[in-house]
Amino acid sequence: MMTEIEKVKRIVSASKSSDYAISTHQLAKKFDDLVAVSDLNLKINRGVLYGLIGPNGSGKTTTIRMLVGILKATSGSAMVLGEKVPIAKNIAKIGYMPQETGIYSDLSAHENLELFSELYTMDKRIFNRREKELLEMIDLEERKNSLVSQLSGGMKHRVSLACALIHDPELVFLDEPTVGIDPELRAGFWKYFIGLKSKGKTIILTTHYMDEAQRCDIVGMMRAGELIAEGSPKKLMEVTSTDNLEDAFLAYSGEVEY
Amino acid sequence: MLAVTKKNLRSLKHDRRTIAFIIVVPLLMIALFGYTFGGDIENLSVNVVNFDSGFNNSYIADWILEEISDREALNVLEMYGPEDADLQPSELSLEKVKNGEIWAAIIFENNFSRDAILALESMREGEFTLPSSIIVHLDSTNPNVASTVANELQRTIQNVFVSQLGLISPVVVTTDIVYGGDAEFIDFFAPGVMGLAAMMVTFMLSIISFVQERRNGTLDRLLSSPITEGEIVGGYALAFGLVGLMQATVIIVAAVLLFQIQIVGNPMLALLIIFLLGMGTLGIGFLLSSLARNEFQAMQFMPLIIFPSILLAGVFWPIEAIPEILRPLSYFIPLTYAVEGCRSVMIRGWGIEEISFEISILIIFAAVMLILSIYALKRRG
Repeated sequence: MMTEIEKVKRIVSASKSSDYAISTHQLAKKFDDLVAVSDLNLKINRGVLYGLIGPNGSGKTTTIRMLVGILKATSGSAMVLGEKVPIAKNIAKIGYMPQETGIYSDLSAHENLELFSELYTMDKRIFNRREKELLEMIDLEERKNSLVSQLSGGMKHRVSLACALIHDPELVFLDEPTVGIDPELRAGFWKYFIGLKSKGKTIILTTHYMDEAQRCDIVGMMRAGELIAEGSPKKLMEVTSTDNLEDAFLAYSGEVEY
Repeated sequence: MLAVTKKNLRSLKHDRRTIAFIIVVPLLMIALFGYTFGGDIENLSVNVVNFDSGFNNSYIADWILEEISDREALNVLEMYGPEDADLQPSELSLEKVKNGEIWAAIIFENNFSRDAILALESMREGEFTLPSSIIVHLDSTNPNVASTVANELQRTIQNVFVSQLGLISPVVVTTDIVYGGDAEFIDFFAPGVMGLAAMMVTFMLSIISFVQERRNGTLDRLLSSPITEGEIVGGYALAFGLVGLMQATVIIVAAVLLFQIQIVGNPMLALLIIFLLGMGTLGIGFLLSSLARNEFQAMQFMPLIIFPSILLAGVFWPIEAIPEILRPLSYFIPLTYAVEGCRSVMIRGWGIEEISFEISILIIFAAVMLILSIYALKRRG
């Protein structure tokens, strides 16, 4: 039984940096002279569906790559699941769907899923169950034994998403998960994302679709490597007196007065 | 780690053309070279033991040696005279042939001139006498080298007696084959082709696989999973090492069935060498893959790696036949040691002790390349 005091303590401690899903401090990345990300200070709570939006080259992917630990920051620091990046102890608790499909095209969908499950030393039975569930979600049960190279672009993307989720991660980074996915399936994806969130998972995704951004709990707007605004979609639109996130983005970009 | 191995073997299973390539290319190579190859050989290391004490102030061995030094085929490393008898130079030189340090030991006994002159005199009188004899202990591992040594001596003797003196030669060459009695040229280069083919395919598979890993984002995904860098590199090395083994086995079997090559030593030892070579080559492929943006660029590295190996590693020519300026390069090419090792095992029948030097070099090569690869892959932390 949890007393009221304990509950309050838990809520208070949740705001300590170690209990954020993600927190960064002045995180920056330079490629030679190009500043890809500059002085990023992010705080993302656990159980949140967080959307990063912004034009191509605004630093969304670079940010994610630094957070999953495959790109070294030029300066600043980041904590993921309470561990300093690059994380090691908790690495099995994160899932990552790169923008490039990130799956082996010379293997079948099933073989890809099996490979990634083996990397996470998953129990065979749990894998079978998860695989079935995910194949259903991405609607590829019938093509699971086709080589990925024989699948369409959208289908590859769907397999890639399933691979990022196969080990039931606590925190998933999805870099443009719905590119090239038809509207019906996109709706299915979002249902699944919301479902994940309700199970307490944290989702960080990037998107170019404003209707998707609108469904996130928190949206971070990036431009030229900087986080120019952050908040719930509702708040972002209110502050800028706009009725959609696209206009809100333009307003925050500075050219438009608000 | 085994998951990565399995993945790579599975990828191959789906790619029939690559499997065909792995098997057909070495067959084609060995057949092509087997039927067509021939070359000039120079600068072979030999020892000379000259005990010839002369006859009536004629020193026939010296005439012959002078002629030898005028020609370029043989390179006399050490020359012993009667004053070195305490060193037992004949035994010493034979030992060097056995160790593979020199190709031949050429020995003139102390009554060489006397026998020759007596033979000449009796021939003039129409009598038959045994000719004088040059004894040659010969390493016939490379049949081309062996016949070059024998032919050179024969030609020199011809020159001295027939061309210069107008006489019938009173000297014969008695050869004692130390290694490779029945060896034909195919026996010599089968181990070379084995190493070369394994190296080519491992290099190509690894550089292309890693270019794809980088380009398709799969490497990123691997690196964001709990698998360690060492396991990734190790998994690949194991998979491609096995591919190299498979290929080497195809070549050995084909060479035995099609060309009846002789294998004196333990073929497993040769396969071990190929496996080590494959692991190291994987490392080179990985390291170069970071310099290539796509598969086509990766292919451009092929000639860079393959041609020096074909030309300088002693696959078809002995290292001694390579121009002296280039020879130091040979010792920087891992294939040199793999080929030498396989040859020693397959033709000379040497065991692991005798090829420990080659094995050590290849282990160091594989270890350094794999460690560098792991280091290059380290999460950007």
